[in-house]
Amino acid sequence: MISMTSQGRAFGIASPVLQWMGLDPSPSIHDRIRAGMHLFAVLPRLTDVVRHDEEGRRIADKMRVSIEFRVLNGPRVVLSFADGRIKTRSEGKSDLGLLFTSCAQLNNMFDGRKVLPIPFKGLHKAGELSRLTRLTEILTRYLKPSDTDMQSPRFRESHVEMSLLVGLSATQQIALQDPRAERIANHLPNGTIQYIILDGPACHVVLEDGLIEARSGTIADPTTTIEIQDIDLAVSLIKGEVDTFAANGSGAIKASGSLVLADEFNTLFDRVGHYLQ
Amino acid sequence: MKKLYCFDKSLALFERAARVIPSGISGNKNPAFAVPGSFPYFAESGEGCRYRDVDGNVYIDYLAAFGPIVLGYKNPVVESAAAEQRRTGTTFNHPTERAVELAEKLVATISGMDWCAFGKNGSDVTAYAVQAAREHTQRRKIIKVRGAYHGSQSWCRHGIGGLIESDYEHVLDFSWNDATEAEDLLLEHEGDVACIIITPYHHPAFGDQVMPADGFLSDLQRLCKRHGVVLISDDIRAGFRLDLRGSHEYFDFEPDITCYCKAMANGYAISACLGTQDLKNAASKVFFTGTYYTSAPEQAAALACLAELERTDAVSHMMKMGRMLMEGLHTAAENNGLEVTLSGPPTLPFMTFANEDNFRRSQRFSGEAAKRGVLLHPHHNWFIMLEHGEADIQDTLDVADTCFRIIKKEFGS
Ligand SMILES: Cc1ncc(COP(=O)(O)O)c(C=O)c1O
Repeated sequence: MISMTSQGRAFGIASPVLQWMGLDPSPSIHDRIRAGMHLFAVLPRLTDVVRHDEEGRRIADKMRVSIEFRVLNGPRVVLSFADGRIKTRSEGKSDLGLLFTSCAQLNNMFDGRKVLPIPFKGLHKAGELSRLTRLTEILTRYLKPSDTDMQSPRFRESHVEMSLLVGLSATQQIALQDPRAERIANHLPNGTIQYIILDGPACHVVLEDGLIEARSGTIADPTTTIEIQDIDLAVSLIKGEVDTFAANGSGAIKASGSLVLADEFNTLFDRVGHYLQ
Repeated sequence: MKKLYCFDKSLALFERAARVIPSGISGNKNPAFAVPGSFPYFAESGEGCRYRDVDGNVYIDYLAAFGPIVLGYKNPVVESAAAEQRRTGTTFNHPTERAVELAEKLVATISGMDWCAFGKNGSDVTAYAVQAAREHTQRRKIIKVRGAYHGSQSWCRHGIGGLIESDYEHVLDFSWNDATEAEDLLLEHEGDVACIIITPYHHPAFGDQVMPADGFLSDLQRLCKRHGVVLISDDIRAGFRLDLRGSHEYFDFEPDITCYCKAMANGYAISACLGTQDLKNAASKVFFTGTYYTSAPEQAAALACLAELERTDAVSHMMKMGRMLMEGLHTAAENNGLEVTLSGPPTLPFMTFANEDNFRRSQRFSGEAAKRGVLLHPHHNWFIMLEHGEADIQDTLDVADTCFRIIKKEFGS
């Protein structure tokens, strides 16, 4: 029997044929969530590479291009580079496009495996791709740091901030796509959560009508405040190694303000580790 | 000025606990739900309406072990009844005569109920109640109020930890005081709804308490009758603090099943599910048991507690004390230029600050009150006990006045 998935029908090609072509007609929820996180939580951190890293800044200064990452039958994102700044959008025009044949292929690339996406437009600007590659290498260095890098206090701080922002923004994909989190996501309250690492950076999250946005820095009058004792604890927290209730009781983490918001959001945040390492 | 309390031993013991116990202290008793660092973590003893923590701090207690302590800690009548029973042993192969006596006593006390089964915790009996309803109706769905707490079993547990979707697939929510929404659910799932479970009034954590609107409970009762659905009153929190015959007498409605636990035995571990004759056969088909469900000292304690509640007319006294507390807090807040909302019945009062939904002032207020010897939870309703007297309430109001002053100074309004 030839089964037709909805994605297969969009092409008018049966899924076994797509599979034979090396394409994935129906990605697993796991792959979809990971792809969403890679595009909407990890990739936007290039902005932070430009803020935190000298080499990153120099590279970005030279770039004036918008690059699209598109997954066949999946999500897309456009990164615009101009005046040393990077913006991420999920729609709009692009100069240069990279097509990934499946969520799994995109995920493989983010996992550091060699993959060959198909350039589908703007070949004359392909030179920008080597700059982009270098920026992503720098990003990887911050997100998966070596022990030597982590000895520098400044590097550690940047690592923590970027990782926290990845984790916090990745909750959006949990809220949108993770069936286990549906129960929480359906009733997610509005509000803002301030994360303060006492000897390090601060970030905050804005939750509004189901949309979750993570930003660096502080926000006035947050609904909930989470104070984290130090960077070491923040690093363990990001790795999912902390018993947060125990840390709250001991005062290592101090939550104040709306604990309902903290609790619901934390449930989403906790699930990020199932998808991103 | 009295020295402010500190919590060094609580914190040190918590460090030890966190090494060997997940979360250190699990569930709603975890300090994260109160005011970590300005609230006791571990208990040492209790006497009357006073509670002593491991640091030796003594509080006028309005948390009452989250409800069970209704007469007061170490009530001599209850303690001696339990001790007397313990002399014969604790748990046996079979129930003792106390089980039958207590079931008879409860059936005679709680209005409209014909049978009674015992568990240990509230969650045991709410789970049993919905299963008895499912067995009786041969249907799957449970309708409950959004934000209501019925315990920690999978069908109603908070969050998603350890749960799979099918655990709560057949549980539907509606808003308190909105009988139309309940009716819509009944119509949408016609023939598939086993029960509606409610608390007799709405007492969510992290919010004001809400009394039933006129006609709401009778509307639900009518809807249940019309759709052949069992109406369950989860009276675990409010039971024996509003009316000894059950809070359904206080609010004037007729449930098919009622659940009790907290104030039933003044701190001894026992819960009870009661129901009408119609449901007795179905209830007997649910395999409901636990190693300690039959242990007798708790049953003896419950018998003594119920007798003491009757003898002392405890509810009237607690209502009076609760009213004094609520009115006093209102006035003290006003005198300090603050606006507060006091909600719930006088025996289970709660206070929130006006125009605030993040509880920052409540957290500060509770933390400061605890440091001065008064235990008022910032996010969970409070409990009055028989041992609270006018002098205790006055002492509480004096402390509250100081705390309101602090709030006014720090927050402005
Ligand atoms: C209304 C209500 N139902 C059920 C329960 C669950 O009781 P337990 O914690 O003893 O299992 C509680 C406990 O707070 C409650 O307040």
